Amino acid sequence: MMKISDLADNTGEWLRGTGPESDIVISSRIRLARNVAKYPFLSRANVKQKKELEELIRTKIKEADVDPTLCYVNLSELSSVDRLFLVERHLISREHAEGEKERGVAFEKSENISVMVNEEDHIRIQVIRSGLELKETWKTIDTIDNKLERKINYAYSSQFGYLTACPTNVGTGMRASVMLHLPALGMTHHIEKVFNAVMKLGLVVRGLYGEGTQVSGDLYQISNQFTLGKSETEIIEIIEGVIPRITSYERMARKALISESKDQLEDRVWRSYGMLKVARMITSEEIMHLLSQVRMGVNLGIINDIEMKTLNELFILTLPGHLQKLEGRELTSSQRNIIRAMYVRKRLEKIETLKG
Amino acid sequence: MKCESCNKKYATVHLTEIVGNVKKERHLCEECAQSVNTQITKVPSPTEILTNLINQVAPGINELSKIVCPVCGLSYLEFRSHGRLGCPMDYTVFRKGLIPLLEKMHSSTQHVGKVPSRAGKELIKKNELMQLRNELNKSIEKEDYERAAELRDKIYELSGDNDENK
Repeated sequence: MMKISDLADNTGEWLRGTGPESDIVISSRIRLARNVAKYPFLSRANVKQKKELEELIRTKIKEADVDPTLCYVNLSELSSVDRLFLVERHLISREHAEGEKERGVAFEKSENISVMVNEEDHIRIQVIRSGLELKETWKTIDTIDNKLERKINYAYSSQFGYLTACPTNVGTGMRASVMLHLPALGMTHHIEKVFNAVMKLGLVVRGLYGEGTQVSGDLYQISNQFTLGKSETEIIEIIEGVIPRITSYERMARKALISESKDQLEDRVWRSYGMLKVARMITSEEIMHLLSQVRMGVNLGIINDIEMKTLNELFILTLPGHLQKLEGRELTSSQRNIIRAMYVRKRLEKIETLKG
Repeated sequence: MKCESCNKKYATVHLTEIVGNVKKERHLCEECAQSVNTQITKVPSPTEILTNLINQVAPGINELSKIVCPVCGLSYLEFRSHGRLGCPMDYTVFRKGLIPLLEKMHSSTQHVGKVPSRAGKELIKKNELMQLRNELNKSIEKEDYERAAELRDKIYELSGDNDENK
């Protein structure tokens, strides 16, 4: 079996910072909720049924030949730090990390694909890609779903579609979401207008880690609320239709900032960059803010010695679970602040020495 | 009269509590009364919660609330208080209650989109037809008649498979 620590040195492919609109769109993600027919949903399943389901799905995922590098991790065997680490990687959900008993996750080496077993639904398939790539993402997840469907009899009805534990997911069982970096709209307080426009289309805005999480680092997730009555491609078209409008709005806000207050903007960006290079203690909230400013600075050509990939990665690598994994022990929050600052300095020094 | 709790402000709220057979009067200022009040309102009895729930949704729900799924044992009331269904069968058993709920959530009660291949060719065709009809309506709305004609032909072609004259 693979070790979680093998993952700590690198990050998933979706953080590469490539793909359409990748200056603003960090990633595109789709997940499908599926349940095995003739079994109760997990809230009503007993220990024996949960065990049976876990075993059945685990075996079928292997047989379905989803990806040659796919590996399976049993979550009940992992420490809480390891589970937090997987949440931060977007490989499992928070609910899945905090769940109990028989449950697991399968993911492949590039971390684009993950299949959660015994989350709220029996099966949750997820595919993430860098940039605005919902259509490609759908193709990949559709293929995986077809492969699993050949092995597993899904709970399905002709009227309600794929049957899910929560009626908010029934139908397609699909949630498509796009992660956006919108610092200028936040700074100019135009972000509310975006939210209102998006909500009118039946879409929702959430923070970095989905439902109920706070917005930090100017990172927002936009996803569909409805799952019944519209086909998968229709839902994707609605989201893909609205994203370019938001990104061009963000670019306009950035342009306005440059033309109206160039000096202040440059000062903010350089101060943030400087802070990352010299600070001895950085909280998780502060680093999100600093990275966000620097990321925008790179997009605007103010800073040009740091790669987008490095910045995207730092958003994830400096999270509490990752730092503790890196140190190989549990850390208090003030210890984390010190390690976090040290880690960022080291990463940025490497860039300095490469230049020299 | 001064507030009996903080002894600083004037008592403007007068509460009468009856515990068992003992009647107890309390005189409080507005601030202190508020903290007492929230303590009181925090503990509604389970029956109160249920009646509230029932009255909120609809009077007709009284009948619904008696329904229990024979497969997983979940009652409709339990579903409404936790928001999670117990098994796939619940969609059939609680259908009457679910339909308005789904309408509110998704503005629809009919799945359009992917069909598992083992669900059978007929169902796949039915869904494809439904999608085409949706698209047809949209293109008519947009006054894109060329596309509408294309879609209409496709619909004829697909549904024509069932006709004897073909």
